[in-house]
Amino acid sequence: MTSGALQGVRVVDLTDERAIYGAKLLADLGADVVRPEPPEGDPLRARGPYMDDAPGETGSLWHAFFASSRRFFAVDPGTEAGAAQLGLLIDRADIVLANTGAFAVEEAQLDDACARRPELVLVEVSSFGPDGPWSDYLAPDLVAGALGGAVATTGDADTPPLKAFGELNFMVSGAYAAIAALAGFNCVRRTGVGQRIHVPVHECIASALEHVFMWHWYQDQIGLANKPVLERRGSLHWTNAYQVMGADAGAVMVTPIPDLDGQLVWLLERGLGEELLDPRLQLPEHRRELLDRLMDTLREWVASEDPEALFLEAQSRHLPYGHVKRLDEVADNAHLAARGWWESYPVDDERAVRGPGAPYRFSGTPWSLGSHGDADRDTDAILDEIGWEDGR
Amino acid sequence: MRPLDGTRILDFTHVLAGPFATRVLGDLGADVVKVNSTSRTNTNAPGSPYYLMWNRNKRALALDMSREEARGVCRRLCAKADVVIDNFTVGVLDRWGVGYDTLREENPGVIYVQMSGMGSAGPWSNFVTYAPTIHALAGLTYLTGVPGRDDIGIGFSYNDHQAGLHGAVAILAALEARRATGQGQRVDLSQFEVGVNTVGPALLDYFANGRAAEPGGNRLPWDEAAPHGCFPCAGATSDHPADERWVAIACMTDAQWEGLRTVMGDPEWSRDPSLATAAGRLARAGDVEAGVAAWTSGLESTEVMERCQGAGVPAGVVQTGVDLVERDPQLARSRFLREIEDPHPTAGVTYADRLPIYFERTPCDRYERTREIGEDNAEVLSDWLGMSATEVRDGEDAGYLT
Repeated sequence: MTSGALQGVRVVDLTDERAIYGAKLLADLGADVVRPEPPEGDPLRARGPYMDDAPGETGSLWHAFFASSRRFFAVDPGTEAGAAQLGLLIDRADIVLANTGAFAVEEAQLDDACARRPELVLVEVSSFGPDGPWSDYLAPDLVAGALGGAVATTGDADTPPLKAFGELNFMVSGAYAAIAALAGFNCVRRTGVGQRIHVPVHECIASALEHVFMWHWYQDQIGLANKPVLERRGSLHWTNAYQVMGADAGAVMVTPIPDLDGQLVWLLERGLGEELLDPRLQLPEHRRELLDRLMDTLREWVASEDPEALFLEAQSRHLPYGHVKRLDEVADNAHLAARGWWESYPVDDERAVRGPGAPYRFSGTPWSLGSHGDADRDTDAILDEIGWEDGR
Repeated sequence: MRPLDGTRILDFTHVLAGPFATRVLGDLGADVVKVNSTSRTNTNAPGSPYYLMWNRNKRALALDMSREEARGVCRRLCAKADVVIDNFTVGVLDRWGVGYDTLREENPGVIYVQMSGMGSAGPWSNFVTYAPTIHALAGLTYLTGVPGRDDIGIGFSYNDHQAGLHGAVAILAALEARRATGQGQRVDLSQFEVGVNTVGPALLDYFANGRAAEPGGNRLPWDEAAPHGCFPCAGATSDHPADERWVAIACMTDAQWEGLRTVMGDPEWSRDPSLATAAGRLARAGDVEAGVAAWTSGLESTEVMERCQGAGVPAGVVQTGVDLVERDPQLARSRFLREIEDPHPTAGVTYADRLPIYFERTPCDRYERTREIGEDNAEVLSDWLGMSATEVRDGEDAGYLT
């Protein structure tokens, strides 16, 4: 086996920001993913950053990342010919990924396609679901994250609630869209029957909030909660046991979990923390006090330490510290380099740029990046494949 | 019927990332057998709220892997599994005698997923990580914050969820590949690489243009959109951050800005022609945001949202957990949050947030409570290995099935 895990699976990608990451996951795994776009170009090609800071048909690095490994198909679904071409394309697909309201979704007549081809898997991703009082609400990433519960958790007491950097909420809904598509296709392989599948972005975000529902449902059992909502409080984790601490020229995420004794031994070696050996603090009912005082001691200690050296020594002691890295330091990470992780992202036929490698490695069916280019790049080949000749 | 009915998954995962992957697969109908033992504690303790959150829809098998008899049972289970998954630091399953190279001899179709923190090779492969570690190392902590602060980061374990979702994608893709080839394979999922991947466009920008992104609060890093932020509202019940009320407003186009102006009553400051374009508003973002905040601070967040959305302006209440559970009409409508019918033997009433995927023909609407250690020993070992109830009881009495 030498090609991607999804080789031979045909996907039509009618997504926007809300699910384009799902189509990327399928495409980079080897599926043949065709992305129709208007002849003047996908509006997402206008999203920065740009190669050499120059916008243009293929200059969007945002697009090169999220629309990787696709074949692009310029089509005007408002014309009779374009609508027919779109129909023929969908007639050859195993899976259609569609965002409600995205380019060509309405013209694609997906109801008819499902009726015509019961084996088709149609994944429809909407912001809030097909009905309900918010079903028509507009929700770019910030608003989706706010309503989904992610924004309220992030920030500090002296900042507003914050969105996470980049497109993290839509990367969650994108991943769920890919799961929906593959699970639906698994059914087709077993039974021959496809189906419509709906994925609300709002619920995807709400499903991935770690402690938020737990805090509400199990407040009495957690023991740390005096309100059903944990306030935004910087990096301090809900357990009170993980926190970013300022170091000498940098910051380190510090935690004594899971080896509290090992952390204490390390502090004692440095001549610190003797008061934490107080037998009273070793009693289970005083564990919380011990943890709070330990974190205070760590904060004081870390302030004068070199962050990288501290991080590496912690890891050598099996303590999961993490040096807070700037982006240039991430790009220069020795572990990623040693794993040969970085890949070359095609921008067009002439240009490429280094970028993230696979989020997973398959021993038998390697992940790989395919081509990228302008809206018209693959149109002729696709028209041939769907049997389109001039005039028909 | 559910999409993954009949798929057998042997689950050695713990904490959040791995259990979230197998939770999704269990929700989809896979027979997920969670291997645990009475020696596990803290966040892995069945009955703890954290464990209850991530281990529904799984059957529970107890194996004391320090015992050779348990390792023997484990090898037989691995031979029957479609998927074996763990998120230990590299090497633990090899030490138990169920490493991939051993396993594939007996079960060439097995899909063997290792969701370690740093991947199976490389100088950091033995590092211990939790999501806050990954966030720090991947740049997510540095970039999620306000200018001048590198100590905020994401307020929950985002990357654990993303690693879990990627684990589920990988397994589904590997099942498809096996259908074509008849062969299983090994999947090496590094949670660190999942995390770094989430800042992909920023890394492309760095490598192409030499520009390292910086934290920008609620502003977009590359695109012109203003106002784009969270604004205080009336209705705070105290000055504690948990009791504040906020609304997010994101004008992505000039037309949406015009809509916001109308909703705000076209205040004098907003009529400045220099604010007609996104670039102009960004140049004076502080003034614009102060003006918007002055308007929102006298209104309830829900009212701001409804008025904005009614005018085609993207806006949403910054919802807390209480909002999601008690007030969100969309989640209520879909019964996204629910009590699980069968009470847990020790925890009592437990809850589920449903899989956010709605299948028309194969609905995934079954949510069974998290099981106690070894609660399903007899059923699992009968179903998978044909062991009799007496054999299982003997193993329990001997202590290796505990």
